[in-house]
Amino acid sequence: MAQSMTAERATFTGAEERSIQLRNVTKQFDDVTALNDINIDFAPQKINVLLGLSGSGKSTLLRHINGLHKPTSGEVVTLGTEVHRAGAGKLRKLRREVGMIFQHFHLVESMSVLENVCTGKLGSLAGPRLGLFMYPREVKEQAMEQLARVGLADKAFQRADALSGGQMQRVAIARALIQEPKVLLADEPVAALDPVSSATVMNLIGNIAKEDNLTVVCSLHQVEVALEFSDRIIGLRGGQLVMDRDSHSLSLKEAHEIYNAVAVVTEEEIQEQAPELAGIAGEQHS
Amino acid sequence: MATLRPEAAEAPRSTSGRRPVPKRPTPSIHVIAVWGIFLTLIAGGVWSMFDLGINLFDVLVNIISGWDWITENLFPPQFPEAARLVELILTTLGIVFLATLFSVITSVPIAIFAAVNTTTGAISRQTARIIIIFCRAAPDLVFAIILIRVFGPANGALIGIVAMGLSSIGMVGKLLADNIEDVDRGPSEAIRAAGGARWQWIQSTVILQIMPQIVAHGLHRMDINLRNSVLLGFVGVPGLGQALSNAMNTRQWDLVMGYTIVITVLCILMELLSGAIRTQMMGRDSGGRRRGVLGLLERIAQNSWVHAPTDPHTAQRTPKGRVRVAPQWDAGRIQRFFGWAALITLAFLAIYDVELNWEVLMNTLGNFPDVVSRFFPPDDHGHYASRYFPALVETLQIAMASLLLGLFVALPIGAFAARNAAPTKNIATFFRCLIVACRAFPELVLAIVLVVILGFDATAGVIALAFGSIGLLAKLVADSLEESDTRVQDAVRAGGADRVQTFFSATVRQTAPATVAHILYQLDVNFRAATLLGVLGLGIGFDLLQASARSRYEILSLLIINILVVVIILELISMYVRKVVR
Ligand SMILES: Nc1ncnc2c1ncn2[C@@H]1O[C@H](COP(=O)(O)OP(=O)(O)OP(=O)(O)O)[C@@H](O)[C@H]1O
Ligand SMILES: [Mg+2]
Repeated sequence: MAQSMTAERATFTGAEERSIQLRNVTKQFDDVTALNDINIDFAPQKINVLLGLSGSGKSTLLRHINGLHKPTSGEVVTLGTEVHRAGAGKLRKLRREVGMIFQHFHLVESMSVLENVCTGKLGSLAGPRLGLFMYPREVKEQAMEQLARVGLADKAFQRADALSGGQMQRVAIARALIQEPKVLLADEPVAALDPVSSATVMNLIGNIAKEDNLTVVCSLHQVEVALEFSDRIIGLRGGQLVMDRDSHSLSLKEAHEIYNAVAVVTEEEIQEQAPELAGIAGEQHS
Repeated sequence: MATLRPEAAEAPRSTSGRRPVPKRPTPSIHVIAVWGIFLTLIAGGVWSMFDLGINLFDVLVNIISGWDWITENLFPPQFPEAARLVELILTTLGIVFLATLFSVITSVPIAIFAAVNTTTGAISRQTARIIIIFCRAAPDLVFAIILIRVFGPANGALIGIVAMGLSSIGMVGKLLADNIEDVDRGPSEAIRAAGGARWQWIQSTVILQIMPQIVAHGLHRMDINLRNSVLLGFVGVPGLGQALSNAMNTRQWDLVMGYTIVITVLCILMELLSGAIRTQMMGRDSGGRRRGVLGLLERIAQNSWVHAPTDPHTAQRTPKGRVRVAPQWDAGRIQRFFGWAALITLAFLAIYDVELNWEVLMNTLGNFPDVVSRFFPPDDHGHYASRYFPALVETLQIAMASLLLGLFVALPIGAFAARNAAPTKNIATFFRCLIVACRAFPELVLAIVLVVILGFDATAGVIALAFGSIGLLAKLVADSLEESDTRVQDAVRAGGADRVQTFFSATVRQTAPATVAHILYQLDVNFRAATLLGVLGLGIGFDLLQASARSRYEILSLLIINILVVVIILELISMYVRKVVR
């Protein structure tokens, strides 16, 4: 019994073609089951999109990949590191290779844009940095390089809160890129942006993913964007995997149908979350 | 109506845990308890007034009958020669500055351990919180007296710096811990996700985000320390306070008056300066153009040595051809540079000016455990019931009586200063200015003047602390009135009530519980200030000084424990009230 388990694990972790693997991952927050027995592999250098309603567990799943959350049960292996049992040191080492961007950018607003980008390199530096002057020159030059790449080299010395939302997200991308990551996690990167900035940011992520051969796992709300941008679409609902399709073989119509099956709210859920709205959504669909 | 989809019926109800059954409203027994506390305070205040024999009419009579003595002895105020005066002012400012700097620098790490989102674990969090509570509870005088025994009475500057520094940690550390807990956690998480270690993300995100608050609390605390430093002068902390105490001991009343004026002016200037720095920092919005000197500097810089980068896709290069990785010397960088340079220079100048005795500091740190061990076990030598307990009660009475007196004056002032309660806007503005003036005036200095006029008597202390309470209480009352829900007032007014009826039936009722919390806070402040009045011969502070002067460590520790117990009880009550109010 024990022998077969180790044998299984050996093939499981040794599989080079899979850069991220989740096995029977369940995550329980008090009485909420955020993820329910999730099994999924992410192949390297592919763009994967997670679709699902608010509360379906997209963020929770993303955070398991770099160990910001640990599973209640199950296994997570990212780039060969067993995240579910990794200690602080191992996690730090893994996270150097995994960039992450967020819906609300998470920049330090009172800090200059350039220093914000430099903070992405802290994982490879020892000790705290009191200011921009304490980063090595190479790091600062790399940061300028990434800023030029996202088209914000001219804003390097401004405070981050002087930028627009789209520009802030591009700074956050530069901060992730300075890590020279193999995996890029993006948690609803354009949900807070207007359509024009959204397009800029999504194109940027797409281009960079190709140039740098990144594995991307990105949660999104918009089906069109997901379809255009991804290699694979994964649907989540109530913490469960309910869809997994290669997006190249999918038409927009099909995608919408599937998305509706995944994401349209049912009467029962409305009753649960907002009883005062019950009936409205139902009338629209029936 | 919609039919249930089969897959929805199968899907686990992940959201079912999101909406817990709403809690029932807090049982009214707690509200009754708060009212009970309030009435007890009022009753306590009245009892204290009688028991201390405070009669404002007598005070008036005393002042009028003694008017000749006052004009003859206090006026015209006498000032020391200019050089001496400058020296005293610099010493006081140096000690106050270093004490504040010391407290801010130590408060930051303590606050990091005390805040739930940055602490390293339950034990370190509790330890940090206990340190903060202890520093908050112990009045400056207690620290000063312990430190006199630690450093030796000759090292007044060191005693002042460390005593005020430690007691400031209680306030600054607590406020900073609250600020840290309120900080946006997103950036910290982003750095953690990039592999940043604890101290890296704490420094790069948390400390940077609370920087404005660090400066603001430091400036605020510097005001308070300047005021407290005056009375610490009576236990040997050099500067204006000590000169004042010498003048009192030698009965040079006109000189006392002169120092009083100098200190008052200094307090007001400090208040203005810190206000100016705070607005300067708040007003630094990144979008708009800078004004004034900085704006001019910015325009000059932009037209001469600053070359703004223009190409978004290529890094700017310096004239030498390297990638530019440091900001140019624009107005913002010049301002930051000079800000830090000024801070560091001031610190060195202050250290030089107060002539810190490093040798003593190093030596005493070694025998610190020995000194501390002498404080135990506490012993009252049989005088507790006859002497120390009544002194403790007297201090508490001074605090309660001054609170009551201050409250009576503060309530109308606060009501008139609130824009939604005052008859006209101009009246509100006038009373707001009055409150600011009250707050700027150092009440402990007033206590000294009153002691000179009325003699060493609790009345002087009560009036002075009452005066000090007015400023803060009136401000709190006015603020909470302005924050009150105007819709209720509109409703009552629409029902035909006039202005006064509206005020009492809607506004007062809404803000009463919050006001009780403020009143308790003021009682806490007054009790600590009343302890400090010991230097003028009042209450338990006086016994503290006596025990210190005679090196009676065991009595000292007994008294200190007594003071701490009272402060902590007050703190617990006010914590309870704040919980009920929320
Ligand atoms: N730290 C947490 N503590 C408790 N419950 C949590 C926590 N994080 C997430 N949850 C719960 O887990 C479930 C899944 O949340 P998650 O944030 O992963 O959803 P999501 O799909 O990212 O939603 P959104 O689109 O709103 O970001 C939700 O019910 C949420 O309330
Ligand atoms: Mg989310």
